[in-house]
Amino acid sequence: SVISSSQNRNAILVSHRQKGNPLLKHIRNVKWAFADIVCDYLVGQSSCALYIRYRRMLECAPVNIPIEANHMIGADTSGEKVDDSSLRYHLLHPDYLYYRIKELQKNFKLHVILCHIDVEDAVKPLLEITRTSIFHDCTLLCGWSLEECGRYLETLKAYENKPADSIREQTNTDYLSRLTHALTTVRHVNKTDVVTLGSTFGSLSGIMDASMEDLARCPGIGERKVKRLHDTFHEPFRRAS
Amino acid sequence: MLPFQEQIIADLVDDPNGGVVVLSSGLPVHTLVASLLLLHHPSQGSLLILSASESQKSSICRPNPSTSHNPIIPTDIPSDVLCHRRADLYSTGASYFITPRILIADLLRSRVPPSIAGLLILNAHRLTDTSTEAFIARALRSLSRTSYVRAFTDRPHAMVSGFAKAERIMKCLYVRRLYLWPRFHVLVSNDLEQTPPEVVDIRVPMTPAMREIQKALLETMDACLKELKRSNKVDVDDLTVENGLFKSFDEVVRRQLDPIWHTLGKKTKQLVSDLRTLRKLLDYLVRYDAVTYLKYLDTLRVSEGVRSVWIFAESSYKIFEIAKKRVYQMTRADGVRISIDRNISISKRRKVKRDCSKKEKESEAVSAKVAENVGVALEEVLENAPKWKVLRVTERRKESSPKDGKNHVGGDSNDIVLVVCKDERSCLQLEDSIIKSSHQVMRQEWEKYLLGKAELHGLCKHIGKRSQDPKGYGVLDGTITSGSSENADPRCISKLENVAIFAAASEIRHTFINAKPIPPVQFYAIDKDEHVLDIWKPSVIILFHPDTTFVREIEVYKAENPSGKLKVYFIFYEYSTEVQKFEASIRRENRAFESLIRQKSLLMIPLDQDGRCIEPSSICEPSSVVPQNSVTRKAGGRKIIEKEMQIIVDMREFMSSLPNILHQKGLRIIPVVLEVGDYVLSPFICVERKSINDLYQSFASGRLYHQVETMSRYYKIPVLLIEFSQDKSFSFQSPNDLGDDVSPTSIISKLSLLVLHFPRLRLVWSRSLHATAEIFVSLKANQDEPDENKAIRVGVPSEDGIVEDDVRAENFNTSAIEFLRSLPGVTDSNYRALMDGCRSLAELVFLPLERLAELMGGQKPAKMLREFLDANYPTMLQ
Repeated sequence: SVISSSQNRNAILVSHRQKGNPLLKHIRNVKWAFADIVCDYLVGQSSCALYIRYRRMLECAPVNIPIEANHMIGADTSGEKVDDSSLRYHLLHPDYLYYRIKELQKNFKLHVILCHIDVEDAVKPLLEITRTSIFHDCTLLCGWSLEECGRYLETLKAYENKPADSIREQTNTDYLSRLTHALTTVRHVNKTDVVTLGSTFGSLSGIMDASMEDLARCPGIGERKVKRLHDTFHEPFRRAS
Repeated sequence: MLPFQEQIIADLVDDPNGGVVVLSSGLPVHTLVASLLLLHHPSQGSLLILSASESQKSSICRPNPSTSHNPIIPTDIPSDVLCHRRADLYSTGASYFITPRILIADLLRSRVPPSIAGLLILNAHRLTDTSTEAFIARALRSLSRTSYVRAFTDRPHAMVSGFAKAERIMKCLYVRRLYLWPRFHVLVSNDLEQTPPEVVDIRVPMTPAMREIQKALLETMDACLKELKRSNKVDVDDLTVENGLFKSFDEVVRRQLDPIWHTLGKKTKQLVSDLRTLRKLLDYLVRYDAVTYLKYLDTLRVSEGVRSVWIFAESSYKIFEIAKKRVYQMTRADGVRISIDRNISISKRRKVKRDCSKKEKESEAVSAKVAENVGVALEEVLENAPKWKVLRVTERRKESSPKDGKNHVGGDSNDIVLVVCKDERSCLQLEDSIIKSSHQVMRQEWEKYLLGKAELHGLCKHIGKRSQDPKGYGVLDGTITSGSSENADPRCISKLENVAIFAAASEIRHTFINAKPIPPVQFYAIDKDEHVLDIWKPSVIILFHPDTTFVREIEVYKAENPSGKLKVYFIFYEYSTEVQKFEASIRRENRAFESLIRQKSLLMIPLDQDGRCIEPSSICEPSSVVPQNSVTRKAGGRKIIEKEMQIIVDMREFMSSLPNILHQKGLRIIPVVLEVGDYVLSPFICVERKSINDLYQSFASGRLYHQVETMSRYYKIPVLLIEFSQDKSFSFQSPNDLGDDVSPTSIISKLSLLVLHFPRLRLVWSRSLHATAEIFVSLKANQDEPDENKAIRVGVPSEDGIVEDDVRAENFNTSAIEFLRSLPGVTDSNYRALMDGCRSLAELVFLPLERLAELMGGQKPAKMLREFLDANYPTMLQ
């Protein structure tokens, strides 16, 4: 099918190499289309992603099958493809990732390596991938399920032009959540305590000015919290001058 | 000192290596430390005391009346003492309290001379093989082989949590002796049981309402547990309502769930926190008065309302209803009650001893008041806590006994009555209830409650015919039953000699009305954790909230003062979870000791020739850090680590165990205060480390964005390290929790957004602390060493140019600064100015707007802050 280029702009472009990757089933909230691209997924004007996958060793083909044969099995449409991105493959061909990165030729602002971890103890290969990504200007994202990896791709595409407001310090939240936010910076103080303190002392000034005894009279505020709150408010900012 | 304590000291001093001492809770750790200090001689080198809490410090410093010596008072080594001064202090040979963070920094910077005599470590149960104390022990051992480490704990049950915890603690401290001193140890029990105090056990029945609430709470708990079991994530055997009564239950659940915590659904997590809430409610049921309890429930409903599971359970409805009935009821205009409370109170009275029954007509604290001209009125019930009355009665008894008991010594000090409660709040309330009357106290609480409700009623314009109805005010002005009635009816079933007490009580009752001078009564909250017995020398102790630790303290006090008379009253609620808890806490401790004794017999502590412990797992195989594909590039596989690698570490990071593990790996740790990042690996690589919880929190606060921003500004390779915990799962969430669509609140979205905005940011995903250490080593290979002085200066505003001392974090009230920075209008650029403008947050409250504007550099942020501080809290109770 022919997809116009304007549609392409709103879709994740997927390399033909990824054909048969079960991950594709999980890209549902964003359109995607196959295209002739160097990277595995093109998730934005200036961001691309490579996909690396850990495989459970036991599920892999028997060890005595040579790697070419293994690759051939992978090419079979009935099975899962993209075996060349699996952990096993990675261990046998440690340079694979390096060459894939080199292929990208730094044409993008953001190079993501999306690593699908489906083995519990993946420490050592992950260390390798981490090293490669750090010294070759790639950002490593890890997902633990196909759904999660798919969601990363979707999100990267969907948020392509989104401002960072939601992860910056918020300025326009309501009074109660601001108060909760402030008071819960004091350790052990929970939301219930915030309500108790607020309704007992009427305002934040009231709370900050409260005596130890007044604080202690609030239900649910034990000795420890009383002391922490009181110390926070009354101990000088600078202990030694 | 008692003979058994002398034995403990003798045992300890015997082994030059040191050892770990585990005592039953309540046996005095501080006297042991104090006498070890007495034995210390300056010529042996300095003695450092680690991890002592404030209350432990003060009790160590207090002169012990049972010894004639003046105590050696160790001084604090505070952080504001300059570094070279500290180096001098270490070589004086005196003893000091010191915090682990300062000591480890000084050890790493070689400011500590090898002449240190040894360490005393308190609260040893908090140690793990990765804690700073373990780090210190290792650093100290490489410094001096002759210094000892003596560790103490009085929390045996905390020593058996987790696999072979005692053994691991001993290994990490390099000691090979474990001394166990349970209460049932022959020497201990001999000493303590020679002249036992006279004990009176008073069992107070709970009111029917309390019983019903307790029942409902237990039912709800059971329902929650069943729900939790259904999740198939936990081992069912441990999850019984009985276990649910203890704080340790949370630990059990958490330990089971922690490895999969991030994969759990919202509901399961909520269930766990609900169980905690329910346990609290059970606890407060016997501790708080009816009005406060209701108030707490109301707050809970507001703060937990939508989220929690338990509030929607059937029996929880009952809890709220009954809790309300304990306080007030609705009546119709004709004065007919809507509820059945009268029946309850009558049936309750049937159980009361006969001599009390004639007082039946004097109702408990029920004061019926009906406003005739209104449709519906409130009637206050204000159920009194049964214990209060008993306390009062016991109190009187105490007072009268010196008069009729002629054989009593009669000295002033003997007359002191000590009432022991769990918390300060109960103390204050009990004090009031004795000075005034319990009913008055209840009324005060009630008035406060009503006022609170009325006020919010005005604010919210909420129309209802319930308590917040202003008509409720009419009740307040109404007549109350006279003061004589509420202390009339003790309603207690006594078990043993309590019969006598109550007989006496009925006599005293009348005299009491004349408001006789109150005997010297002292109140003490167990939470305060001071050793009050030696100070007040009470002759009578009333344990209002029984607590094992305090019982032991009484025993020790009595054994140390065998001549003095001491009578102890326990006041329990009969058939309550309170009793269960008290008894089970003793059982639990005994079990812990039995397990420790077993462990001790199987200890496997490796020793070297000097009889010292051998390092557990010394520097691990370097091959693991050699990158696989680089092996061939290294000529002939030459060893790569020739010179010592070093890492610059922010002082604040010493709260975590990573510096310790890096040190174990053979890296040189340079502790400094960093303005940007947590670890500097090379001139280019700077790492911000986030545990999973930190990650979520700092995303929410927006702090992470800021940190990454500054890191990217100053370093070529800014790294965000996402560190999972070894015993938790290596993933964020289960696929089921992912949701159907891209949601802005999900961690995936936040990370993606961060990555999109900082394409230069490198992410490192680490399985555990140990994996992190390996990653660090691997990243450092082929890189230059970082420059300490440069790293310190990065990001520090240039105007204050001076490089600050390395313990800056200790010099600041970090909690206050955190709080300040979370306030609206306060930004990264103006919070320093605010800190300069006022001493503390309490002072900030009184700064006028103009001054704030001056400090904050603008009217707008100043106004925002001022308004936030003064805004009225919107009451939302219904």
